[in-house]
Amino acid sequence: MAKDTTLIQMKDISKSYDGEIVLDEFDLNIRENEFITLLGPSGCGKTTTLRILGGFTKPDTGKVIFEGTDITDMPANKRPLNTVFQKYSLFPHMNVAENIAFGLRISGKSAAYINDKIKYALKLVNLAGYENRAVTSLSGGQQQRIAIARAIVNEPRVLLLDEPLGALDLKLRQEMQYELIRLKNELGITFVYVTHDQEEALTMSDTVVVMNKGYIQQMGTPEQIYNEPENAFVADFIGDSNIFDGIMIEDRVVEICGHKFPCVDEGFGRNKPVDVVIRPEDIIIGKPGQGMIDGVVTSNVFIGVHYEMCVEAGGSEWLCQNTRSFPVGTEVSLNVEPENIQIMNKPQSEDEEAISLEEVLGEEQQEE
Amino acid sequence: MKKYLKVLYIALIVLFLYLPIGTLMVLSFNESKSMTSWQGFSFRWYREMFSNEELMEALGNTFTIALWASMIATVIGVMACIAMNAMTDRKRNIFMGLNNIPLLNADIVTGISLMISFLLFGISLNYGTVLFAHVTFCIPYVILSVMPKFKQLENHTYEAALDLGASPAYAFFKVVLPDLMPGITSGFLLSFTMSVDDFVITHFTRGAGINTLSTLIYSQLKIGVRPTLFALSTVIFLLVLVILLISNYVKSEDKDRTPKKAKKADEVTEDDYIYRSGMTLGKKILVGIVCVVIIAAAVKFTPSTPGEVGENGVVYVYNFGDYIDPELTEQFFEETGYTVVCDYFDTNEEMYPVIKNNTADYDVICASDYMIDKMIREDLLMEIEFGQIPNMQYLSQNIRDFMEEFDPGMFYSAPHTWGTYGIIYNTELVDEEDFEGDVSWSILWDEKYAGKIIMPNSIREADMVAAKLLGYSMNTLDEEEMDAITQKLIEQKPLVYSYANDNARDLMIGDNASMAVITSGDVLYAQEDNENLAYVIPVEGTEVWTDCWAVPKSCKNYDGAMAWINFMYSYDAAVANFEYLTYAIPNTQLDDYVYEDYIEGETVLSEIGIINPSEEILARCETLKNLGPEGDDMYSRYWKIFKSK
Repeated sequence: MAKDTTLIQMKDISKSYDGEIVLDEFDLNIRENEFITLLGPSGCGKTTTLRILGGFTKPDTGKVIFEGTDITDMPANKRPLNTVFQKYSLFPHMNVAENIAFGLRISGKSAAYINDKIKYALKLVNLAGYENRAVTSLSGGQQQRIAIARAIVNEPRVLLLDEPLGALDLKLRQEMQYELIRLKNELGITFVYVTHDQEEALTMSDTVVVMNKGYIQQMGTPEQIYNEPENAFVADFIGDSNIFDGIMIEDRVVEICGHKFPCVDEGFGRNKPVDVVIRPEDIIIGKPGQGMIDGVVTSNVFIGVHYEMCVEAGGSEWLCQNTRSFPVGTEVSLNVEPENIQIMNKPQSEDEEAISLEEVLGEEQQEE
Repeated sequence: MKKYLKVLYIALIVLFLYLPIGTLMVLSFNESKSMTSWQGFSFRWYREMFSNEELMEALGNTFTIALWASMIATVIGVMACIAMNAMTDRKRNIFMGLNNIPLLNADIVTGISLMISFLLFGISLNYGTVLFAHVTFCIPYVILSVMPKFKQLENHTYEAALDLGASPAYAFFKVVLPDLMPGITSGFLLSFTMSVDDFVITHFTRGAGINTLSTLIYSQLKIGVRPTLFALSTVIFLLVLVILLISNYVKSEDKDRTPKKAKKADEVTEDDYIYRSGMTLGKKILVGIVCVVIIAAAVKFTPSTPGEVGENGVVYVYNFGDYIDPELTEQFFEETGYTVVCDYFDTNEEMYPVIKNNTADYDVICASDYMIDKMIREDLLMEIEFGQIPNMQYLSQNIRDFMEEFDPGMFYSAPHTWGTYGIIYNTELVDEEDFEGDVSWSILWDEKYAGKIIMPNSIREADMVAAKLLGYSMNTLDEEEMDAITQKLIEQKPLVYSYANDNARDLMIGDNASMAVITSGDVLYAQEDNENLAYVIPVEGTEVWTDCWAVPKSCKNYDGAMAWINFMYSYDAAVANFEYLTYAIPNTQLDDYVYEDYIEGETVLSEIGIINPSEEILARCETLKNLGPEGDDMYSRYWKIFKSK
């Protein structure tokens, strides 16, 4: 799908606000026709990256290269990119048509062309016939679609989207996710998408860039990110995970909570401390004695598709998901298929240090 | 019952809010000058208003200053807001605080500090200084109403516009400004009304010849507010009402605009795609009106001092408000080639510091006798070269004697008007025999007229009445005599209907009292509206007052000043002033002038006793003397005793 030609290159970008480093020697390649998502907790630098791309923020050092041209110092209004802002940022004193026509009028297009474009764009976002509505009379989802229409009529090479679905409710958000994928395929332009919602990122993207504290933690396809997190931060951030301190006894054998588990990883050396990630849905719950380790169910919550349970085993809490319910107090055994055990090296430097789940949640709450 | 009370309550509120303005509007159509009697419907005051150039000029000044000041303040204020918006929170708070201080400051402090600053930096007070002052006090209002709008700005709309290719300027004017517009409009309107309303700051910063409505009206208090001002107020009120209605109409039009046009997808026609720019009818009308006003203002009134300057330059006249026939300035210009710029004050005490401190340069001033005396003593006046004033030969002889009392030898002053104090009475409400032959001031102590007597509400005039009755001088400095005078006034208190100055005349016209102490100048005016009024000067004698022209040391155009005084003594000017003011003009050329008396019919002026008392009576009259600070203190002390009883 994504062609392998680089469209935008961000090189050695650094940016700090009031002495606080937001981006540190940041490098990113964006390929033509790619749906690339910058994913990370608030404060990770993803929005700053987008603003640098859009031309609203100047990096302290580094270069932004667009098709071989340095556009670092090019003002926002000259860049061949358009942005869809977090809170739509529609012009409230203009109606829908006037909003969409804004960019076209500036570039001096004829009235007939503008009218055609408005019609086309509204059809594309499924809002045909809304030309003369006041933007303030529209719902959040409609406003967001108008904001997208306003951006795409200018036929940008790249569309930057800054958490565009953040203000919408769940159902609308899911609906819009499919709309965006459809739009991207119909328009054939590059999307750079910023979000802190991992589900959104995994659903829509060709490439996901997981960021934290101004660094890229991992970059890859959604499957790679989900199934093979490179460090505890990524594992923790993408989906629910059990992360244990483990010891790699030898190739293919890892010790977790005092029990040896077979796994498929090799080459970590002998008796080496590692991080072990096990997805809750990969834990098989059985009768006591039938699994690798025995434990007791300490909590049980029904969350729709399945039950989420905590099992106390080997001195640790194991988060498990299962369609079958085991009441609190039930003695169970736990088992994990070797290929579902993900072994990761412990972080080497402080910068790579995974932040705890509490910290992530804390920051999210602060943002709200 | 409850519903009844609701309606009553609303009716009361409406009445409370609009009764005063309603009263004023009704009175503006009253044929009579009186505020108390209705004498038929008439457009007289409207005609007079439009032909009164001074009033029109003040009106013009008021609105041009308001318009310019609010426009300039709006531009500066909005720019300040943009800058403040880009600041850090702490800095912005500091600046908002700085902005709020002038708002809380008393007007008088602002006014005086501005005046002092202007004078300190050698800027002479003129139209520009008033405008500057108004801009100064309007800016905080603009900032106060625009700043909150910045906080409400849609997130990132400015950046969104840039993103769509707009240049920063285009983005500001097309996207940010429209969002700020409600705040800017309210800031502009607030500034405009504050500027139109302002009296105190204007009063201190205006220069010679600059009047706004508020200062003009204030200066007219000396001889009473003329109903032309009611007419003017009515016109302004209606104008504001019309503008309000139109702007409301525009708003409702805006609201209608969008929802009506919204259609379902399958009903869409080609036309709907053409986004409309352009304005609605109401907006066009409003914009049209604003343009007309701005153009009219710019063309007619920009920096208001008269456009044509006479070949001989400008004569600056500082006078009591409404104290000459306003048409005379034009006539003077035609006859002599001097352009006249008139400026007004209400009381001698208001004029005195202006001359003393030289805050504005005047060539001729008008002042009362005792003030002339004071200014001569303080060396503030120049001698008048009567050789340059041939018309001086027409000065009435009897007035010359009184002038000896305040300008011995007559070097510094030339009388403009003069008059006496006496009793005005309503022939229908008093016993005729009481007013046959000689009348004594004691009639004001007659129990028979209890509750029907009006006394002056000022120290010197009230004391004069008692002093004369007791046979003392009205300028007495004797404590015992003062005590007797005060006791006499206290004794009279239960009989008095009202202590009144300006409105004594109106109360008499409206038949509210039987008699009042009044100055002779007001009598003819009052008789016009109530033919039952008559005037008598009591046998004990009374106060004779004289208001004179004089030349302050600051005079820059001495010849012009001489020409002005000479002109005032010409037959035409004397007649015009007499007809306009109905005050006695000390000019022998008027002796044979036939005045259409409202009671006697046509009378030769010299035979009207009201303005020409007999020699015998004049012999018992005195002028008000300047008593010095100690004397003033004593009079105030006794006045307080009287007031407190």
